Amino acid sequence: MPLPTWDNTTLFVDDDPADRAFRQEVREWIGENLPADLCNRSTRIDPPELKPWHRKLYERGWIAPHWPKEYGGMGATLTQQIILFEEISRVGAPTPYPHGLNFIGPLIIDAGTPEQKRKHLPPILTGETTWCQGYSEAGAGSDLVRLETRADLEGDHFVVNGHKMWTTNGHFADWMFALVRTDRSATPRHAGISMLLIDLKSPGITVRPIQTIKGDAEFAEEFLVDVRVPRENLLGELNDGWKVANRLLGSERFTTGHPRNAAVLLNKARQVAELTGATRETGFLHKLAALEIDLMAFSAYYRHAAALHGEKRAPFSMAPVIKIVGGELGQRASELLVDAAAGYGALADDTVVGNQIINPAAEMFEMRRVTVGSGAVEIQRNIIAKRVLGLTS
Amino acid sequence: MDLLLTEQQTLFAETATRLCLDHGGTKRLRMLRAAAAEIDPDAWREIIKSEWVTTVVAEGQGGQGLGAFDIALALEQVGRQLLMVPLLEAAAAALTLSRATDSARAGTGLADLLRGSRLIVPATAAAAWRYGGGTSNIQYDHKTGVLDGSIAFVAYGGSAEAFLVAIDAGTPPVVAVVPRGDAAVVTERNVDGSTASRLTFDRVHVLAEQVIATGAEARRLATQLQEFLTLGAAVELVGLAAAALDVTLEYIKLRQQFGRPIGSFQVLQHRAVNAFIDIELNRSLVYRVLAAYDRGEHHPAMISAAKARASRSASETVRGALQMHGAIGYTEEHDIGLYYKRAMVLSAQYGGELSHSGRFSDLTLEAGVSA
Repeated sequence: MPLPTWDNTTLFVDDDPADRAFRQEVREWIGENLPADLCNRSTRIDPPELKPWHRKLYERGWIAPHWPKEYGGMGATLTQQIILFEEISRVGAPTPYPHGLNFIGPLIIDAGTPEQKRKHLPPILTGETTWCQGYSEAGAGSDLVRLETRADLEGDHFVVNGHKMWTTNGHFADWMFALVRTDRSATPRHAGISMLLIDLKSPGITVRPIQTIKGDAEFAEEFLVDVRVPRENLLGELNDGWKVANRLLGSERFTTGHPRNAAVLLNKARQVAELTGATRETGFLHKLAALEIDLMAFSAYYRHAAALHGEKRAPFSMAPVIKIVGGELGQRASELLVDAAAGYGALADDTVVGNQIINPAAEMFEMRRVTVGSGAVEIQRNIIAKRVLGLTS
Repeated sequence: MDLLLTEQQTLFAETATRLCLDHGGTKRLRMLRAAAAEIDPDAWREIIKSEWVTTVVAEGQGGQGLGAFDIALALEQVGRQLLMVPLLEAAAAALTLSRATDSARAGTGLADLLRGSRLIVPATAAAAWRYGGGTSNIQYDHKTGVLDGSIAFVAYGGSAEAFLVAIDAGTPPVVAVVPRGDAAVVTERNVDGSTASRLTFDRVHVLAEQVIATGAEARRLATQLQEFLTLGAAVELVGLAAAALDVTLEYIKLRQQFGRPIGSFQVLQHRAVNAFIDIELNRSLVYRVLAAYDRGEHHPAMISAAKARASRSASETVRGALQMHGAIGYTEEHDIGLYYKRAMVLSAQYGGELSHSGRFSDLTLEAGVSA
C-alpha cells in the first residue's frame, strides 16, 4: 500500500462536518473572488492596495469572524476563524492587517463607549480606516511601562506630547490607539497610563516612515507636539490603559502564530533544495526533518490549544507559547530556505530558479521581526517564568 | 495544558496518578535497584489487579475496548514516577495477540497476560530501530518453522516467561509466542537499574501452535506492535521530563547564591521555560498521534516524529536539570540523576532521536510532499 502524501499544512486539523462544509464554501468563494495579483508576493502589500480585498471580505460577511454579530461580526467559533485564515493563506493571499480588526476593534467592543463603538467599528469593518498601534517609544520597547509620551488633561481635551516609534503602518494609518502617560507620579508606573484614540490628521503630528532591514517601509515614527485629543477619545477609564491593553484574550495569537507560516516556508525550502541540489546534502535533510518534527509538535499544540480555547479552558501560558514557538519556528524555516538557496539566498531582488520566482532573503528578513514585535520572545519567556513557573526576579 | 478527556478518561487518569504516586518514586526505585530487581512486584501486582493491561484489548476478548490513548494516561504516570513495571510491554503484547486472526492460538497467551499469570514481552526486530544491533541475522524458515539468530535490547527479558517474537524484515515475517526455555537469555543492567536482554535462538523449532501469524498478517501485527511500543516510550518520556522539571524548579527556587534564589536569574529561568515549552508541545504531539493511531488514521512518519522529539527533548530537559542542580546534581545521593538515567534508557529504547528522525525523513520523502 503506498504511503499517503505528507501534508504539513493540515496536520491534526479537527474540523467537524459543519466546519468542513464551511471550509469548502470559503475555498470556493476565494477561488472565484481573490484578485490573482495579490498572491504569493515576496514584497509587502501596503494597506491602500489591500483595501479592495478587505472590502470584498467585508461584503461577503467574513471580515471579522471573531466579532459578535451585533457589532457586524460573525460571532464565529474559533475553529471557523482559523479556517478563514487558513483558506486565505492557503493560496498565498494576504490576510487583512490585524491592528483594527484584531487589536483595537475587540478592545473598543469590550471597553468602548456607545459613541466610540458607533464611530469606529463600522469603518474598521469596511476597511475605510487604517489603524496603527502606538505603544513603543525610543526609550520604551520591551520595558513598555517606561513610556514618556504624556497626555495632560486641559478642560475637555488631552494635550499630547511625545514620540512614538516602530508603529507598523503608521504612515498609512488614519487613527492610532496609543498608550500615554496621564499621571506622572503614579506608582507603580503602569498605574498612570491611559489608552487614547488619536486622529492622526490632528495638527501637531508629524509621521515619518522608517525603512526596515528588508528595504521596505513597514513601520514609522510619530512626533506629537501639543496635539489636542478630545476627552471622549479616552478608551476605558483614566489611568486604566494598562489594563485595557491587556484585555486581549489571546485568541489574536491564533492567526499571527499559525503553524502554517512555518509550513509554507519549509515547503519553499524543499522546492528550492530540489532545484539547487541541497537535497543531496545529508545536513540539509537532517535539518529539514528536525524542523518538520518541531512543526508537527507545534501543530499538535496549536490544535490542542484551539480546542481548549473553544471551551474557555486554555491556560495563561498558551499565548506566550504560541508567540515564542510560532515565531522561532518560522524564523528557523526561513533560514533553511536561505541556506537551501545557496548563492540565490543572498540576492537582493526576486530571482528565477528553475521555473520559480523566489526571494529567500526577503522571506528571511520578514521573519526576523516576528520574534521582536509585540513583545520580544525574551519578554514572553520572562512572563512564563514568573506567571507559570513561579520563578521571581 | 489539560488534555481533552472524557469523564471516564479523567477518572482513569486520576486513578493512575494516585496508584503510580503511591507505588513509585525515587526512594522505591533506589530500593529496587539495590536489590537488583528488574520489576517492582508490588506495583506490578496492583497494576494487574487494576486491569490496566486489559485497556487496549477489545471487549469481546476480555478487555475494555479502549485505545492506546487511554493506556497512555497510565504510562505517562509510570514515566513520571519512575516505576519499574512492564506495563508497556505487556500491553503491547496483549494488543498484538488480541488482533491476530487466529484467536484460538493467540487466546492462551492473551488470557495469561490479562490475568497476569504469565509475563510475555515483545522481542521484535523493528525497522524503526535502523541501527544499533537490535537483531543480528535472525532468520525464520516458514517451511520448517526454525528460528535462528538473536534479538537484543529486549526489555524485562530477565523476568519474562515467554517472548512475543515479531519479525518483519530481512526474513519471512513471523509473530510467535516462544517460551523462555527456547532462548538463551543474557541480561545486562542499564544505568537506571532496568535491564536489556539478548535472546539467542539456536535453530529453535517453533511449534505450529506457537505461531500466531505469518506473511502479510505478521508484518501488519509487527508494525502495530512496534508503533505501539514507540508511542508508549514517547509518552513515558513526557511524564519523566515533566517530573524532572518539577524537581528542578523546586530546587532553583530554594537554592541561594549571591544572596538570592538561583531561580531568580534570567539565564536559568529561560532554560526552565524552554523545558516547559518542550514538554507542553510533546504532550500535545504524543496524545494527538495516539488518537490518530487509535483511529487508524496516522501517517507512519508521525510515530517516528513523536519518539524522535520525545527522546530529544527529554534528554535536553534532564541535561538542563543536572546543570541547574550544580555539583549536587553530579552526586549519587541526589534524585535528579535517577531521572537522567531513566531518560537515557527510554530515549534509546524502541529507537532514539537519530533513528526516528532518519525514518521520518525517509518516510516523508518517499510518500511525497504536498506543498
